[in-house]
Amino acid sequence: MNIDKMDIQEISILQLSDSFFPTGMYTTSNGLETLFYSKKINNANELRDLIKVYLEHQIGPADCTALGNAYECADKSDLSKLLKVDQIIYAMKLVREIRDASTRSGTQLLRCLTSFITGNELMNQYQQAIKQGQAAGVYSIVMAVASNALKIPKKKAAIMMLYTFSVSIVGAALRLGMLQHFEGQRIIHELKPTILDTMINNIDRPLISMWQFAPEIDIIQISHEKLDSKMFIT
Amino acid sequence: MSAKRIPRVGIGGPVGSGKTMLIEQVVPILSSRGYRAGIISNDVVSREDADRMRQNLATQKGLMAEDLVIGLATGGCPHTAIREDPSMNISVVEEMEEKHNDLDLIIIESGGDNITTTFSPALADYFIYIIDVSGGDKYPRKRGLGIESCDLLVINKIDIAPHVGADLGIMERDAKAVRGIKPYVFVNCKTGQGVKEVTEHIIRDVLFEFPPKAIAK
Repeated sequence: MNIDKMDIQEISILQLSDSFFPTGMYTTSNGLETLFYSKKINNANELRDLIKVYLEHQIGPADCTALGNAYECADKSDLSKLLKVDQIIYAMKLVREIRDASTRSGTQLLRCLTSFITGNELMNQYQQAIKQGQAAGVYSIVMAVASNALKIPKKKAAIMMLYTFSVSIVGAALRLGMLQHFEGQRIIHELKPTILDTMINNIDRPLISMWQFAPEIDIIQISHEKLDSKMFIT
Repeated sequence: MSAKRIPRVGIGGPVGSGKTMLIEQVVPILSSRGYRAGIISNDVVSREDADRMRQNLATQKGLMAEDLVIGLATGGCPHTAIREDPSMNISVVEEMEEKHNDLDLIIIESGGDNITTTFSPALADYFIYIIDVSGGDKYPRKRGLGIESCDLLVINKIDIAPHVGADLGIMERDAKAVRGIKPYVFVNCKTGQGVKEVTEHIIRDVLFEFPPKAIAK
């Protein structure tokens, strides 16, 4: 049997995109729980439109661009710039719960990967920098470094991140009882063009052009921190 | 990613079985022996347990700093959060280890049914599973990962056994049959009956009777 490197990369994409991969993302709803309790999102189509807003105004122009830049740093083994990208995207995350969840997922993702990817110098240096408090270990940056180490192409790495983010919100909606399982898959299917466009629009932009603007979502996520009764971390 | 791992005890059990109250009883005994503990509470849908323990053990009794009781939401998946993907719990434990490396013990509490609850060895070094008699004396006999695999089985609310028709003799017989030589303890967390024995298990089997860090310094 002839197995080339491309086959292995494809399997690595499946591995990192799988909700079975231990990143703890199932504990987050990114504010959806607050919207659900306040009855502001009531059906599958409204949820789909909300995820579009997350992708196009938050995760896309911020995390996706950060991932693209971090991937280039990893390609050039430029640790110093990688740490800068990590610090900037960390500072751009306005809401404490979102910041904490992202770095907790990121650092655990990195720990898991370094348990079976050995000898990747940049990955080890990045992990060391996190230990020493020089980097936060934001999820999108870890995903970039991990994808580079596993030879997953940059654009596919970004699609993976946008996809897993979307799936985690749909998963949260299912557990909240907002929709049924077939509707969840329909939404994911309908989001595919948005995921692709978001990647194309943001993956090659320079670091200085990173932005995010979804103030209503920021306020909802801040409100979630104060909920007395909640199922999700964010 | 702390330099030194602090011993960790996982306490699991069904909702209402007495996990929080067991911790509220065990921590003062540990404290009286000089052992300092931190607590992470995996609430399923609220932060009530964490708030209650913080209020009782930190604010009122002054046995620990308030930031040593942390509530953690699990996205409705408490079993996953302590077993197949304990990422968030491990992160929070490591943050606690980083900030408070002088702790002797970290207690991780999580709700979970008797069929599927177990703690990942990456998260907890010792697993206590607590049930109560109100589920009936068939509970140990019905087995499940929690009851069979835990290091210590705690059977709570023994005072109400006669009122719910639960025969403690049957529970003891079945616990022995299912668990072999692994220990079990009958307790009443309301009065503290049996809780000292639970604490002794922790000191002997988790802390290996090492003196508290504060004394060993």
